[in-house]
Amino acid sequence: MNIEVRGLTKAFGPITAVTDLSFEVEAGSVTGFLGPNGAGKSTTMRMMLGLVAPASGTATFGGDRYADLPHPSATVGAVLDSAGFHPAHTARDHLRVYARMGGYGTARVNQVADLTGVSAFAGRTTRILSTGMRQRLSLATALLGDPQVLLLDEPSNGLDPEGIAWLRYFLRELAADGRTILISSHVLGKIEHMADHVVVIRDGRLVTTGPVTGLYGSATVLVRCAQADRFAAELMESGVQVERPRPDLLRIHGLSTAQVATAAASHGVTLREITREQPTLEQVFLHLTGGSR
Amino acid sequence: MTALPAALLAAEWTRLTSTRLWLWGLLAALGSGAFVGLLALAGPENFTPPLPGLDTAQGTHVLLGLLGCTVFAPALLGTVAVSSEYRHRTITTTTLFAPRRWTWLAAKLAVYTGAGLAYGAVAAIVAGGALFGVAVLKGITLGLPTVTVAALLARIALTMAVYTLLGVAVGALLRNQVTALVAVGAYFYMIETVLMLIPGIKELYPYLPGGATAALTGFTYLADALAGQTGTSAAHLLSAPAGAAVLVCYALIAIAVAVAAPLRRDIM
Repeated sequence: MNIEVRGLTKAFGPITAVTDLSFEVEAGSVTGFLGPNGAGKSTTMRMMLGLVAPASGTATFGGDRYADLPHPSATVGAVLDSAGFHPAHTARDHLRVYARMGGYGTARVNQVADLTGVSAFAGRTTRILSTGMRQRLSLATALLGDPQVLLLDEPSNGLDPEGIAWLRYFLRELAADGRTILISSHVLGKIEHMADHVVVIRDGRLVTTGPVTGLYGSATVLVRCAQADRFAAELMESGVQVERPRPDLLRIHGLSTAQVATAAASHGVTLREITREQPTLEQVFLHLTGGSR
Repeated sequence: MTALPAALLAAEWTRLTSTRLWLWGLLAALGSGAFVGLLALAGPENFTPPLPGLDTAQGTHVLLGLLGCTVFAPALLGTVAVSSEYRHRTITTTTLFAPRRWTWLAAKLAVYTGAGLAYGAVAAIVAGGALFGVAVLKGITLGLPTVTVAALLARIALTMAVYTLLGVAVGALLRNQVTALVAVGAYFYMIETVLMLIPGIKELYPYLPGGATAALTGFTYLADALAGQTGTSAAHLLSAPAGAAVLVCYALIAIAVAVAAPLRRDIM
């Protein structure tokens, strides 16, 4: 099921949150929705789900607006950080209420509880759940209707490394089932290994959209080696751009780690360390906007 | 199509019964019924100022009217029920599961009308039982025929259901739980009473929820007492059917407001 966002615009009083934002999410793909804090990611997701009314523009799932979907919770599942739980409800109570609402049986409650690990704390009141548990419960609620599309707003916020690893694995499994996933983040590193595509926004406007590999521009590889002088010279001779931040450290532009390793081997250079340099979202923005900001 | 009505009703029912709210409701209903029983046991003739006894029509009226004065309690419960969705931010998930917002509000209104009726029934049965029990205990006959007492109790029970709806509407409108509770509480405790003291505005009292309730329950003690203290004439209450009509109008307005209010609001 394709997601299509067309010309979404929203202002809160004098503050423009999102301006004429359009993008598409292909069926069966994992798309990262990137932007710094306050870029308008949450507002966009809320508009897509009909929680916030756009001033103009539309968002559709397979051609239908969310509110017009024949069975919304069985089509799109959403994990939003603003969604809460009744503190007196147990995790299972929470799932039961929304299972009833969507017309799903008790068997499905147990299924999603098992799937997300909620079973381990299903009897605890939500008041005492940790951030990670709450995130699992949100995910379980979103999965009640076994939706083909998942919208996740900063799902790893507040999670510990173990929680993040679990979430990453879990989402990969869901994606492998052919689900369409849109996942927002303000940290590129959190989703680059998961997403096929990215939609990057800033100040409520689209910056770029495309495959995740196209984000970085020319990749850089950091190399530490004994014969840095000679290796740098050899590389530059073959037209490769090389910087030398420190005497034994080279920053090589435009080659993959494999290409650098092959080049080192063929010149008889011993590498002590080789790393692909991870650009931050800020560096990506600088690259995309030509350093104009 | 969105979520099925039956599914939404079932969900609201689960929501109501899976927290302690229903228990508080039950306790409040039992308590307000028992409160009337206690007053009956003490005897209106021992009140300050003394009132006609339980064996007079007015004495029985006063006690039933006092039960009518507890209608704000189910209103508060209705308010808590809706405003807690906003307070605990379950409103987001609720709206995601039923994006046509009037549908879940309609389900809430339906479930809480039922809950309000149940509340009223419990309070009325306990109060009625207590009145007749005390009469037997004291060896007196109630000042009103049994049929009349039963009819008045039924009216009070219905009034409680209407007030629950009013409470739901206020909760949907104000969202902030504390604000909503304070507004409902202040209205029934203070604002109506204060209005009765103002000569010009006093004429409105029969058309306010409290005045209409008084007309329906035949309870004029509060209005009369205030009139006596301030030396003004008491506001004339509507007839019981007109009072009922006014209350039903309030309920209809409340439903319209409760259903319309959240439609265009942004849920952040």
